[in-house]
Amino acid sequence: MKWLKNMIEVWTYAMKNTLFDEGVVVFFVIVPLLYPLLYAYLYNNENVREVPTVVVDNSHSQLSREFTRRVDATADVEIVSHCQDMEEAKKMIHHRDAYCLIYIPKDFAKDVAEHRQTVVELYSDMSGILYYKAVYSSCTEVSLEMNKEIKAQLIPGATEQQISAFQYPIEYKYVPMFNTQSGFATFLIPAILMMIIQQTMVLGVGMMAGEEREEVRKHIASPYVIGKKPIEMLIGRSTVIFTIYAVISVYLVCIVPYLFDLVHIWHWQTLLAFMVPFITSCVFFSIALSSIAHDRESFIIMFVFISIPLLFASGISWPSSNIPIFWKGFSWLFPSTFGINGFVRITEMGATLADVQHELNVLWIQTIVYFIISYIVYKRTYGKQLWA
Amino acid sequence: MNGLQQIAAIAKREQKRMLQRGIYTFCMVIAPVVAFLFFTTLMGEGLPAELPAGVVDEDNTSTTREVIRNLDAFQQTNIIEHYPDVAAARKAMQRGKIYAFYYIPKGTTQLAISGKQPTVSFYTAASYLIPASLEYRDMKMMSEYASGAVGRATLYAKGYTEDQAMAVLQPIKMEMHAVNNPSLNYSVYLCNTILPGIIMLLIMQVSIYSIYVELKEETSKEWLAMADNDIVKALLGKLLPQIVTWSLMGLFCLSLLYGVWHFPLNSGIWPMVLNMFLLINASLALGVFFCGALPSLRWALSLATLWGVLSFPISGFSFPQMSFPAPLRGLSWLFPLRHYFLIYVDQALNGLPLYYSWLNIAIQIAFWALPVLVLGRLKKFLLEYHYTH
Repeated sequence: MKWLKNMIEVWTYAMKNTLFDEGVVVFFVIVPLLYPLLYAYLYNNENVREVPTVVVDNSHSQLSREFTRRVDATADVEIVSHCQDMEEAKKMIHHRDAYCLIYIPKDFAKDVAEHRQTVVELYSDMSGILYYKAVYSSCTEVSLEMNKEIKAQLIPGATEQQISAFQYPIEYKYVPMFNTQSGFATFLIPAILMMIIQQTMVLGVGMMAGEEREEVRKHIASPYVIGKKPIEMLIGRSTVIFTIYAVISVYLVCIVPYLFDLVHIWHWQTLLAFMVPFITSCVFFSIALSSIAHDRESFIIMFVFISIPLLFASGISWPSSNIPIFWKGFSWLFPSTFGINGFVRITEMGATLADVQHELNVLWIQTIVYFIISYIVYKRTYGKQLWA
Repeated sequence: MNGLQQIAAIAKREQKRMLQRGIYTFCMVIAPVVAFLFFTTLMGEGLPAELPAGVVDEDNTSTTREVIRNLDAFQQTNIIEHYPDVAAARKAMQRGKIYAFYYIPKGTTQLAISGKQPTVSFYTAASYLIPASLEYRDMKMMSEYASGAVGRATLYAKGYTEDQAMAVLQPIKMEMHAVNNPSLNYSVYLCNTILPGIIMLLIMQVSIYSIYVELKEETSKEWLAMADNDIVKALLGKLLPQIVTWSLMGLFCLSLLYGVWHFPLNSGIWPMVLNMFLLINASLALGVFFCGALPSLRWALSLATLWGVLSFPISGFSFPQMSFPAPLRGLSWLFPLRHYFLIYVDQALNGLPLYYSWLNIAIQIAFWALPVLVLGRLKKFLLEYHYTH
C-alpha cells in the first residue's frame, strides 16, 4: 500500500501548495467566483428594450399618428422625436440620439383609404444587429394588427372570425423553445461558465508547472516529489485539481443559474454524469498543455486571448453546421467545445445523457488521450532522477 | 550619449530580448495572425446559409409538400429530415441535429380550403440565438407567403388584379433598410471589433510582462541605468519596438478587413489607421498604468487580463451598451476598445466627417495621462523591489 500512502502525501502537499499560492487561487477560485456574476449583471436585461427611434411622418394623418403611437407603445421601440425631414432625422442618428428611423410617406393614409398598398420604410443603424431586430419586429407586429382592422372595414358586417380567416386562411404560431425570451444572458452565460472552467484551470495549472520549471532551473525541488513515481505524482496532483473544480463547478452550474434566474431544467444525475468527464478531460488537458509552460507567467499571456476564438469555435454563436472543416478539427482538440454544447443542451433544453452521447464519448476520449500525454510528460520530468 | 541615443540603445536591447524569447514572437505575431485568420474565415459566408432544420408534416398533401419545398429553397434553411411527430423533432433538437422545425398538423389543407383557418406552427431552439433567429425569419416568411397564396387565389377568383389583391391582403407593408450592411453580414458586425480587441488584449499583457520580466530576472537596474535612471526614457526605449511591431500588426489587420474582405469602409482608410494607432497607444498606456498603480506586477498582469477580457462585452458591439446597467455604462468609458468601436461606427461603417468622433479620439489620447500619474512609483518599484517567489 506504499503507492496509496505516496499518493495521499502528494495530494496533501499539492493541495497545500495550491491553496497557499495567491496567483493560483486567483484563477482557481476568485475568477470563477466573480466572473460569472459580472457577466450575468452585464446581460441582466436579456433583451434590448426601448430602442430610441425617430419618425419622419409626411402623412400627418390620424392613421399615421395611430401607427406611430402603437409602435411607441411596444416594449422594444421608443419614439424619441418626430422630425421634419430626413436630414434632421439622419442628424439625430449620427449624434447617437437615435438608432432607427421610421419613414411614413405622404400618401400613407390616402393609399389605405383608396385601397392601394402603402409602404412604410424602416432604417436601422447597423452598429448593432439587435436594433434592427427591435424596430423590424415591432413595426411588423403593429402593421399586421392594423391591417386586420383595415380589412374589417372592407368587409362590413363580417364577424371577427371571418375577418381573421380572410386575413390568414392559414394561421401560424411561433414557439421559441428553451430560451423563450430569446434572451442574451440565457444564450451566452452557460457557454461562458464552461469556458471559465477550462480556461482558469489551464492558466492555474500552467502557472504552477511554469514555477516548478523555474525551480528546476535553479535546482530547487519540493521535497515531497522525491521518492514518488510519475504515476503517483500525476494521480495525486490531478485529484487535487479535480477536487477544487468539483466544488467550483457546483457553484457555477447550480448556484449561478439559480441566482440569475437562467433556464436550468437539468436532472442532477444527468448533469453529474456529464460534468465528471468534462472536468476530468479539462484536468488532463491542462496538465498536458502545461508541459510547454516555460515560466510562471507565460501561460497568462499565451492562453487568455484564445478563450475568445474558442467560444466561437464551439458553435454557440456562429452555428457549428457552418464552421469550416479545418476550424472544426481545431475545435475538437478542446474540451470546451463539447462541454459547452453538452451543457447547454442538458441545462436549457432538457437533453438526457443519450442525447449528448456524442459529446460524452469525445470527452472520455479526450480524457484518455490527454492522460497518456500527461503521463509521458510526467515520466520525462519525474522519471529517473527523482525516483530514488 | 544624448537622450535620443539612450532611447535607441534601450530599444535595441529590447529588440534583442524580444527576438531571443519565443513568447514575444508567439504573442505579437503568431497568435494575432492565427486569430485574425480564424475569425475572418470562420464567418467567411457573412450570413450562415443552409442551416439544418426539420419538418413534421402530418397532413402530407401536395399543397403541404409544396410549402416544405419552398421553405427548403429559402437561403438560410436546409430541411434535413422529416419527423413523424413533434416529440421526435424535439428530440432531434435536443440532440443538436436541427435548430428549428416546422409543424403542419393533419387536415390543414382541408381546413384551409373550407375557410376554417387551420394553424401551422414553427419551433426554434432559441438557446442557439443566431441560427434560431435566422430560421425563424425564413419560417415566418414562408407562413406569411403560404397564407397569402391562399388569400390571393380567393381574390383572383373574384376578379381582383394583383395590386388590388395585395392592397386588400396587406394594406400597410414594411420595408427594412439595414444601413451600410444590407446583407446583415455577421462577419462585418463582429470581426470589426473582435480583431482589434485581440490586439488590445495582447498589447496590455505583453507590455506588462516585458516590464515584469526585468524585475524577475533582476535586470531592471541595468535597464534603468542605460537611461541614467530616467523612467521616461527607459519606458520609451522599451516600448518603441513594441509600438512598431503592434503598428505593423494593426495595419495587417486593417488590410485584411478592408482590403481582402472588403468590409464597408465609407470613411476611406486613413481615419481607421488613426483609430488603430490610437487603440494601440491607449492599450500600451493602460498597461504601463497598471504596472505602476498596483503593488505587484503579478496583480497588474491579472488586472490587465480582467480588463482585456471584459473589453469585449463592455464595448457593446454585440449586446448594445444601452441595455447595460447604468454603472457599467459609465465604466465603459475606461475601455479603449469601446472608443475604438464608436470611432469605427462613425468612420468606416457610417462614413461621417472625422469631427463627429472628436470626443472618442480625445479620450484615447487622454489615456496617456494615466501612466504619467504613476511614473514615480513605477521607478521606485523597479529600483527597489526584489522579486520573490
